[in-house]
Amino acid sequence: MADQDALGASLRIAGSGLESQSVRLRVISENIANAQSTASVPGGDPYTRQTITFENALDRATGASLVKVKDIGRDAAPYSVEQDPGNPAADENGFVKLPNVDILVELADLREANRSYEANLQVAKQSSDLMNQTVALLKDV
Amino acid sequence: MNDVYLFELSSQRTAYLSARQTLIAGNVANANTPAYKALDLKPFSAVLQQASIDMATTNPAHLTPTAQELDPPIARENGDEYATVSGNSVDVEGEMVKLGEVNRDFGMATGVKKIFRQMFMQALK
Amino acid sequence: MEVTALSSIGAAASTRAQAVQPSAPAANTGPSFTEMLSQIISGGVNTLQAGESAAIQGMTGAASPFKVVEAVMQAQQTLQEGLSIRDKVVSAYQEISRMTI
Repeated sequence: MADQDALGASLRIAGSGLESQSVRLRVISENIANAQSTASVPGGDPYTRQTITFENALDRATGASLVKVKDIGRDAAPYSVEQDPGNPAADENGFVKLPNVDILVELADLREANRSYEANLQVAKQSSDLMNQTVALLKDV
Repeated sequence: MNDVYLFELSSQRTAYLSARQTLIAGNVANANTPAYKALDLKPFSAVLQQASIDMATTNPAHLTPTAQELDPPIARENGDEYATVSGNSVDVEGEMVKLGEVNRDFGMATGVKKIFRQMFMQALK
Repeated sequence: MEVTALSSIGAAASTRAQAVQPSAPAANTGPSFTEMLSQIISGGVNTLQAGESAAIQGMTGAASPFKVVEAVMQAQQTLQEGLSIRDKVVSAYQEISRMTI
């Protein structure tokens, strides 16, 4: 029956959303954790901010419009530089390159990702619930 | 029993709402996908007209549009007022509201089916 | 279906009314028993139809859920009453037919 196909598809779609947002949360967490991570060698590059892009994946068999992670890349924005001669990562002039991570941006993104995750979860719960309602018609017939 | 309009309509309703649930799921999942355009179904009454359902139909043989006829969904896009720089037009809050609508409407359709079927079974005793 | 149930009450009632001829009533003070039952039946049918169209309108979005629930519950109740009357009429008839005169 088409109902179950459509609802099953919606559950898979919501599942793909949950997966994708989970990866996004992981990426953001790594950015936050490494916001201060400088290079291990003098004058070297620090942690580079990671970015994530999604893409729409059309499942031809069911027509389901899934989402998936297209790519996890590196932010090409320049590093900020500080004067800190005592730092092990300082170059010969005493400059230290710091990660191109802005904590405030990451925190806002984290909130967004959480919100998206919760939204997908709500969709998944409802799809499951609607399927149960249909089956429940068979009870006390 | 199978050609009673009320039950036919209820089945069409749940098929429509299930298709809408799938579109909502797609919109929410792709809320961050660049250039993704949010989709929705046309109103139920428009879909009914399209399938030429007449309440006083004289041909009970073709009352319910088959699953194939309701698929693919007769979708429309959200307006560009929601579009971001990447061209994504998903409004998650709006989708959540629609989710609630689907929930209530689905509950009513299955509830109607259940109650009228119960009434029928009672009368048979 | 539900209409059959209610109309069977009418059938049972009218056959009994024909079998027992009432002696000429002194004055026509109110509806006959048959008429009373017919009114219950037709009222019942109306309530059922109201319930059905409310349900249909509810699903096409034309009626509010509150109105739908109200009308459908009314229909359910009416059917219940109708079936109760039917059952009682049937068992009363059976009792009468068992009586030895």
